[in-house]
Amino acid sequence: MEKKSISRRNFLKKTGLAAVGAGATLYGPWKHNRVYATATDKPILIGMTSDASGQYANSGASDRRGMMMAIEEFNAKGGVLGRKIKYVHMDTETNPATGSRVAERMITRNEVSFMIGAVSSGVANAISQVAQKYGVIYLNSNSSSPTESGKNCHRVKFVWDGNGTNFAKAAVKNAIDAFGKKWMLLTNDYVWGHNTSKATRKLADAYGAKFVDELLVPQGTRDFTSYLLKIQQAKPDVVAAAVGGDDQKVMRQQVAQLGMGRKPAWINNQQDWPDVYGLPLKNLFGVFGTTWYYKLDLPGVKEFVGRYNKMYPETAMQVPGNVFYNGYMATRELLSAVERAGSTNNIKVIKQLEQLKVSAKDRMQHFDAYMGPNHQMQQTVYMATANDEKAWKQNKNDLFKIVSWAGPQEVEDAGAIAACQMESYADTATYDG
Amino acid sequence: MSMDFVVNLLPFIVNGLSLGLLFALIALGFMLIIGVMELINLAHGSLFALGAYLAMVLIAPSADWMGTFGQWYVGLPMALRYSLALVAAPALVAVVGMGLEVCLRPTYGKDPLYGLLLTFGAALVIEESIRVIWGSAEQTLPVPPGLSGPFLMGGLIYSKYQFFASAFAIMIIVLVWLFLERTPYGAIIKAGAHDSEMVRALGINLTRLRLFVFGFGTSLAAIAGIILSPIWGLRPHVGVDAVIPAFLIIVLGGVGSFWGAVIAGVLVGLAVGMTSAFASEWSLLSMYLLLIAVVTFRARGMFGKKSVLEA
Repeated sequence: MEKKSISRRNFLKKTGLAAVGAGATLYGPWKHNRVYATATDKPILIGMTSDASGQYANSGASDRRGMMMAIEEFNAKGGVLGRKIKYVHMDTETNPATGSRVAERMITRNEVSFMIGAVSSGVANAISQVAQKYGVIYLNSNSSSPTESGKNCHRVKFVWDGNGTNFAKAAVKNAIDAFGKKWMLLTNDYVWGHNTSKATRKLADAYGAKFVDELLVPQGTRDFTSYLLKIQQAKPDVVAAAVGGDDQKVMRQQVAQLGMGRKPAWINNQQDWPDVYGLPLKNLFGVFGTTWYYKLDLPGVKEFVGRYNKMYPETAMQVPGNVFYNGYMATRELLSAVERAGSTNNIKVIKQLEQLKVSAKDRMQHFDAYMGPNHQMQQTVYMATANDEKAWKQNKNDLFKIVSWAGPQEVEDAGAIAACQMESYADTATYDG
Repeated sequence: MSMDFVVNLLPFIVNGLSLGLLFALIALGFMLIIGVMELINLAHGSLFALGAYLAMVLIAPSADWMGTFGQWYVGLPMALRYSLALVAAPALVAVVGMGLEVCLRPTYGKDPLYGLLLTFGAALVIEESIRVIWGSAEQTLPVPPGLSGPFLMGGLIYSKYQFFASAFAIMIIVLVWLFLERTPYGAIIKAGAHDSEMVRALGINLTRLRLFVFGFGTSLAAIAGIILSPIWGLRPHVGVDAVIPAFLIIVLGGVGSFWGAVIAGVLVGLAVGMTSAFASEWSLLSMYLLLIAVVTFRARGMFGKKSVLEA
């Protein structure tokens, strides 16, 4: 019996030809392909580039939940432009190299429409470089390094969190007025620590602060007692700490042991909700920045928390925090911008986002917010401190007490705006998700 | 040298000493295992963390799933639950440690790299298990109210807990020393550290000795973890912070030397404590400089005898 077999070479030849043929009719040049896709009711696919492992795994999960709730709400209304919204998540591992790889894969293989998600500025920067190459809109939802909307800004990237300078600006003046002018710096001995302390020093100098000392803290320090003794000997009014990561957690623990959290006054950078949720109250010390708190006495906040509880009844974090809020807001504003643009064409959506203004009511913040020229959401910044023991004992979720807030103009990061040189529209590839 | 300078210096010496005792406590279990087994246990740090996590559960379990027993248990005084955790958590970790020793048996007599690799793998497994069970977020190990909080001395605030921890470290150091010096088991361990083959030739069950030493050494790691984590905080990878200084202290003190480890621990504590007062950016580097200074002149460390790891 004669067996009809297909040789490997023959097979390759035939399928290759078929593929070329199919490509010529269906795929063709990039832009065409995209136009073809939108004409169908293909779902809008959002690529979630958030960390599920590494130092920021916890925050990454919160960020993602925020995005998912916004997507769910749009889908309940029937989607956007008649298209359902779907999402795909890949772990960026708190690692810039993984971030690039994930972005590349999401764009070329999954053909995502947009990408959202970041906590680490290193990862966000890596993702946005890939996004810019393809023209895919990328929302940096939660990374607060000023460089993200400064020298590393891009036409396709929009940043939704307040940045280090915004928080420092809100904190410094407040601290000088409330506590005094004798300051001390505690600086993690690496680039981020030095940059942060330099910015604080500049701001505090402008308001007349006197710096008595700057203590450098090597990364990996586990004994802060010597630093705390030194601080006691110098008796400053305010200690501005730029200590991050695990070092900060250790420091917090030891400051709490000594009961030094109230005097001297401490100012910290932003405290992300997932990093402090569930800790005893005394472990929170000093004044720190945040963009939102679940107990803000503003219309809509209670309902928002209610929707969170309904959607995530099992989550260990019983109330939403700033990271969730930023993830939610970024996603919601993107989908609304697509609606207004009437298209998923990147340039059209970018133009919508660039003109974005959100009322205080819609933001559930005290002031109206708007998109800055450097693609950073200019918004209200809150200063918070640990809540009173009594109030916290009644409700263990109620960790913060909001002490003051500042409008977007007051805390504007002019440095980042000046440093941002983004690509022109013409230099940005067209992309249509 | 002015009086002021001395007065200002004193608190840092006190802090350095207390820090040093804690370093010595961390190194103790590590030293025992290297001494007898000639094995560097890279899982020491993970067992350190595991001890602290188990203690956390024993001190403050979630009462819900244990019914009335749970209700009764969390109603017990904190100090009692804490004391129980200080005994029971190291015992549980000792069981894990002994399990690890059983896994290590095929590597004895082979290239030491096998043992090293196995303990490294165990370290990863234990750390990831902690992450799976307790999550990656920061946790706190509660301590009895009488031990926490500050006290004033010479116009400066100190942490009560840190002094309790140092006193506890002294107690453990003395107990381990008494055990090694004053009991027949101690004599066997010391003999095993000196020449394990000879110990076997004398009719002592070496298999059982190794199992015991591993359990003992890892329970000391757990004790160190329970004592240190109220100061360092508790996260799955907290053990990494313990294993590096432990290793350094053993080399500095001399492998296999009990007092070498204790004295090296105190010296490292003093070096770190004092430099962070006057040149804080050098504080972590100071322990490595100390190591270089000693090893340059004494390759075996301060009190190392010629034996164990040298051919």
